[in-house]
Amino acid sequence: MLQYIVRRLLSAVPVMFGLSIILFAFIHLLPGDPAATILGQHARPELVAAMRQRLGLDLPLWQQYVNYMGDLLRGDLGRSFVNNRPVLDDFLIRFPGTIELTVAAMIYAAGLGIPLGRFAARRPQSTGDAIVTVVSLLGISVPIFVLGLTLQYGFSVQLRWLPATGRIDPRLTIEQVTHFMLIDTLLAGRVDAFIDALRHLILPAIALGSIPLAIITRITRAAVLDVANEDYVRTARAKGLREQRVDGRHIMRNAWLPVVTVLGLQVGGLLAGAVITETVFAWSGVGKWVVEAIEAHDYFVVQSSILMFAFIFLIVNLIVDVGYAFLNPRIRYS
Amino acid sequence: MSRTRFGALIAAATILVTACGGTTATPAPTTAPSTAPGSSEAAPSGSAEAPSQAAEGTPKDGGTLIAAIPGDIASTDTAFIQDSNSSAVSNQVVEGLVGTKPGTTGEIIPVLAQSWDVSADGLTYDFKLRTGVKFHDGTDFNADAVCYNYDRWKNFTGALASPDYSYYYGAVFGGYGANSNMVSCTAKAPDEAVIVLQHPYSSFLLSQTITSFGINSPTALKALDADNADPTKSGYNTGAKGAMVGTGPFMFSEYVASDHITVVKNPDYWNKDGIAHLDSVIFKPYPDQTSTLNALQAGDIDFAFNLNPTDIGTLKSDSKLQAIDRGESCNLFHLAMNQTHKPFDNLKIREAVAAAINKQALIDTFYGGQATPAVTWMPKGGLYAKDESLPAYDPEAAKKLIADSGVPASDLTFDFWYPSNVSRPYMPDPKGIFQAIASDLQAVGFNPTPQTKGWRDGYLKEESTGKYPMWLIGWTCDWAGPDNFLDTAFFYYTDGKPNPEFAYTNDALHDTMKQAEAATDDATAKTLWEKAQDMIRADMPTVPVVNSTPPAGAAAYVKGFVGSGNLTEILNSVWLDK
Repeated sequence: MLQYIVRRLLSAVPVMFGLSIILFAFIHLLPGDPAATILGQHARPELVAAMRQRLGLDLPLWQQYVNYMGDLLRGDLGRSFVNNRPVLDDFLIRFPGTIELTVAAMIYAAGLGIPLGRFAARRPQSTGDAIVTVVSLLGISVPIFVLGLTLQYGFSVQLRWLPATGRIDPRLTIEQVTHFMLIDTLLAGRVDAFIDALRHLILPAIALGSIPLAIITRITRAAVLDVANEDYVRTARAKGLREQRVDGRHIMRNAWLPVVTVLGLQVGGLLAGAVITETVFAWSGVGKWVVEAIEAHDYFVVQSSILMFAFIFLIVNLIVDVGYAFLNPRIRYS
Repeated sequence: MSRTRFGALIAAATILVTACGGTTATPAPTTAPSTAPGSSEAAPSGSAEAPSQAAEGTPKDGGTLIAAIPGDIASTDTAFIQDSNSSAVSNQVVEGLVGTKPGTTGEIIPVLAQSWDVSADGLTYDFKLRTGVKFHDGTDFNADAVCYNYDRWKNFTGALASPDYSYYYGAVFGGYGANSNMVSCTAKAPDEAVIVLQHPYSSFLLSQTITSFGINSPTALKALDADNADPTKSGYNTGAKGAMVGTGPFMFSEYVASDHITVVKNPDYWNKDGIAHLDSVIFKPYPDQTSTLNALQAGDIDFAFNLNPTDIGTLKSDSKLQAIDRGESCNLFHLAMNQTHKPFDNLKIREAVAAAINKQALIDTFYGGQATPAVTWMPKGGLYAKDESLPAYDPEAAKKLIADSGVPASDLTFDFWYPSNVSRPYMPDPKGIFQAIASDLQAVGFNPTPQTKGWRDGYLKEESTGKYPMWLIGWTCDWAGPDNFLDTAFFYYTDGKPNPEFAYTNDALHDTMKQAEAATDDATAKTLWEKAQDMIRADMPTVPVVNSTPPAGAAAYVKGFVGSGNLTEILNSVWLDK
């Protein structure tokens, strides 16, 4: 197993390397010039030229890439063109916000999607199944920003049940130690603040989790239906096992594999969705930061953040693959 | 960048007035020179009451205001601040020698200087400073502190002396070290600082009102290594505890990147009439305008510095909210033409364009009424702005001008560009505005071909180099002087050639503007700047369309806010009626 993990980690190296080239190429292919963007309407040709030189943009592309990769290998993710701060510092401050949001969205999506899928699979073609199907389709079809703004309008503006934006009421002064708001509020011993942070998390988590919820529901339904028709399930029932045991030991145990795979893959979707969700909900995370960086042509922030996202995605999928071994003892990695 | 590009003038009025005889009056060059009190006890910046405030009841002290700004701040060192988000925060904390009167864009008032004298040659500025003022770290504000700041800026080197950091020092003073227009700053006495320039610069005082020339505590600057050759390693620049130490009505408390910035009341503010009512203000970045409106409606925030003009109706229809009119505009939106492209080399055609545009319809549709038709090539309330009697909306007159121009109908087809992925204070909905103007132009016989490009994806670069025949553009003031619009932004010359953006050649205009910028008395400056506007009017190189004021919004219980078109608002007068 250890050997497998090491091999998978090593195989991530060429993937990351290839991705870095593609990213670098794409971002430099984008129309526009960071130097001109920074200077805005103050740009004059000589100022733009000086700025390009300072930012190292006057060098040949290959040299820019080599410099970037050299820094990257030394753990230096570069500096933001906009505020000149090290990208890694800003990433680490913002990343906990994104993790908090994506984990909450995943808990929502999996916590609701799996039971819904099982429910629908147990009564295929029923009214309940039809409703679940329609809700799933809606979840996939409605763009996050539309759902987000609608949730804000309904639950915050009209009903005033939940806050519309932010991670916590800023009047609650909580020292940000870990930058995980739920953890920091508990560290501060502030239950009221913890509840407030939780309330802030609900709408963005629902908005972000809507697409994974739909997918997980559909996959769970399909997987359960698939397994439920297997001979060994019929045999289990025939030998008189209680339905609960059939469901738990024989159906779900085998239906988990595709569901877990999808859970892993959804992490990528959640990180991508966070970009929009964080902007709509004024959520201070990496997603909102990347949007601003793309608009500003802030090369290093975009490149490094996306590389970090990709790396995280690879790790999560590795964890999922390793998880298979525990779910299905027949799987052995070597 | 050469100093002349930024040169300018305005305050000239002021200075110059005094300058004429080396008088001791403290002139305030402003849109209303007569109001300028120079010496001593003129109203300090923090004390102004909003005209509407009387009707708002007796202010209550206490509470926290949560204010949305459109993005995260970029710096906490005022010397490096170039963005409006950082300025919105630092305006509360750091003060300069002079400022603009709340509610105005260009009326200079004493702040940390209580008066000043200008020599007859316009080169020496002798500032009499307030006494008994302390920085937020408890150290004394005095002439040494003033000169420490001015010398610091002048002596920037390396990255610090580049446009991505101290852009405005370089722009206003034309360079650093020996290349700076500032010869020296001398602490003549603890309460007297003398700044000497190499060349007269009639906009000097007005330029000193902007954020970048705020006076910070020398002790705090040194403690957080503000002059580190790599400013990213300076805590003073990056919002560490102990950064942004000024003399203002609020004190910097905390910065959490991308999340919030908190300032707290300064109970020992030197201007006792300007002590803040609020206990604290928390600034939060809200990049999305719809989310900002939702947050305001949901009660997440109390105040929004920047809202879409089309949301004004929503604010006005909700009794729990209020739309805030900032009053005087500090920008200009104009329809630009480049004279190297046909048919815009023809004056009658340019005049026909001017007569074809229905400005009032644009204001009603896209600006929520918070704009006025432009009357010249700068804000209509700006210093030395002259109503140039621009052509009124008259499609028939436009058709006649086209007919008189001799340009055949076949030559009335041209590319008309508008920017995408952007909303500017003077241009909230570029595509909508474009469609309306294009329709106006078609109605009189023009045949514009729609073209667009991303604002940051080449639009700015291409329009500035003269690629577009006709396009939408505008300017928000750095400081509210005619130089900042007519010269710096629009019709400057570089190396003897006109700005390629408009390709508008008028050597006499260039000479007139340079003379105006070097004028040492108000009357001369006024005459010259008005003459410059007349010259531009005669050539109609672009069509001024509107001056707008970007709207703010707030909960109804927020009282006492004094808006300014140049967005230099100080929140010490704000209080919460709840």
